[in-house]
Amino acid sequence: MADLRFARIGKRFGGIRALDGVDGHVDDGEILGLVGPNGSGKSTLINVLSGHYEADEGTITYGDANLTDLPPHRIIETGLARTYQIPRPFSTMTALENVSVPFMFGANPLPPPVARESAMEWLSFTGLEGLANEPIDSLNLHQLKYLELARALAARPKLLFLDEVLSGLNPTEITASIEMVRRIHASGITLVIVEHLVRVVTELASRIMVLDRGTVIADGDPKVVMQDDAVVTAYLGKRSRRAEG
Amino acid sequence: MTSTNRNTSLITLTIAVILWFMPTFRETLDYPVFFLLFGYTLFFWIAQASSWNTFTGFSGYFSFGQGAFFGAGVYAVAVLAVKRDWPLLLTFLVGGIVAAAIGLIIGVVVFRLRELRGEIFALMTLAVAFVMASIARVSPTIDGGQGAPVNNVPLPDFLGDFPTMIFRLGLIVATLAVIAAQWVQRSRLGWGLFSIRDDEDVAETLGVPTFRYKITALLITAFIAGLSGAIHSLQIGYVTIEDVFSIRVPLFVILMSILGGTKHWMGPVVGAIVVVTLNDRLNRAGFQEISDFITGGLLILMIVAVKEGLYLRMRTRPARTAIGFVAGLAIGLALGALDESLITLLAYGLGIAVLAVMLPLSWFARGRSAEAEAKVASHG
Repeated sequence: MADLRFARIGKRFGGIRALDGVDGHVDDGEILGLVGPNGSGKSTLINVLSGHYEADEGTITYGDANLTDLPPHRIIETGLARTYQIPRPFSTMTALENVSVPFMFGANPLPPPVARESAMEWLSFTGLEGLANEPIDSLNLHQLKYLELARALAARPKLLFLDEVLSGLNPTEITASIEMVRRIHASGITLVIVEHLVRVVTELASRIMVLDRGTVIADGDPKVVMQDDAVVTAYLGKRSRRAEG
Repeated sequence: MTSTNRNTSLITLTIAVILWFMPTFRETLDYPVFFLLFGYTLFFWIAQASSWNTFTGFSGYFSFGQGAFFGAGVYAVAVLAVKRDWPLLLTFLVGGIVAAAIGLIIGVVVFRLRELRGEIFALMTLAVAFVMASIARVSPTIDGGQGAPVNNVPLPDFLGDFPTMIFRLGLIVATLAVIAAQWVQRSRLGWGLFSIRDDEDVAETLGVPTFRYKITALLITAFIAGLSGAIHSLQIGYVTIEDVFSIRVPLFVILMSILGGTKHWMGPVVGAIVVVTLNDRLNRAGFQEISDFITGGLLILMIVAVKEGLYLRMRTRPARTAIGFVAGLAIGLALGALDESLITLLAYGLGIAVLAVMLPLSWFARGRSAEAEAKVASHG
């Protein structure tokens, strides 16, 4: 079993505790939805788990590998990859070159010319093959989000964190994207999705974990969790719950 | 990123072999000895600029450390070959190794700390050259503030007379620098460096071993700069701290690389050829001040108007480049530039070609970017 497990994760930024004793796990093959209000620590958790930030406290293991003190470039070798909420493409490279970089590194590095060919497959998967040799500044937000996805897939992950890949897209694009996320999952990749859009999470996730002010307030079946009092309070505030009840 | 392959390096080697035999046929071809010295100056700056660019141009970490690496090479010869009677060729190698060791120390200290990116890195590398200069000044075994003569070391016979020898040594190091830059550009190391330049955090999370790659590139840069400095000590003849550790070397490699373009190995080569040729001719004609004015002006124009650098601009406008070059040659001939050499003619050709690709393209580029905007709008 190559499950991801993390315990007592703490992360401070100055005086603010972004994460405070977060425990959790991601099971092989599931789609875990990570939700919570703005500033609840969702992105921070992904940043810590992917090695982008170093945790102040806590432990992270993936299968037999202890990720806690590994540098990020070693973490990706264990099979974890992530996308960035705000796309961060390599700005002086073409779309194809962006996607070919992860193929040259990681657990099975390919020589640069071979990496280019492999990169084309993921560009086609995300529908960007027509833009392969375009410079990055000619891509719109929707295309940049897909490029971010293609580049993360090029790292050949077993577990992929999707940090708001759908935010900023219009309803038609969202429907198409949900389909794409399903296909990625069907190819055998475990997914953790961070999303503001409740519709997307409930449609996709097999389990939901809710964060509020850096702690886990609920974890379980999507339908049950989204009805939970604490969750409703966190999302809508106390007064609205009383009014409803 | 435009690609380069093994054939590029084979072509480079072929050119180097042809150039190697230029001194052999000097009588037959009947050209002045000065050509060999001009050739050496070109090789020296190509080696320095290419090596600087291999780390800074590709990784984006702005380094003023070139003076320190160059200086380490110069003083390796001044101390070991002159004062200790080590074999000259061995001291060249030691010069490169000492420079690489300095690069390694800088790298290990600076790259460990995430905060030392950007300006701080540039300042650190600048400081290292100052520290090295002061150490050399107070230490009698290195310099002691007196300067050191390098003009009486025994030279190896098998490389020919002095102009031939310096030409060939310069050629070897320039070839090494260019082939190293080509190799880095097409290798995994190069792609790692390009992604570091664009976004280091993302590069690291995508599997690029950023620490190791930056150190490796800095070692290549430092070794070649040190080796080239060691050979240059013979050309200087009498080395002083003020000359060796002046800002000239770091400033000129930056100027040449940015002028030619930092994203392709060919950029520093083109930059070095243009700057050395124009400088040489203007100095010879007695216009030292104008020569600095022109190179400085070119750099400003380049930063404002041609961000990708001369080389990539010339490659996208080959016709303009060729016409400019031929027109320059014609103007040179018409003005009777064949006084002593083809170098003057070359200077005219290059000068006009540079102007041709730079100036009229500013409005051409504007038309193009409008086109690109329209394309984006139709997509959105």
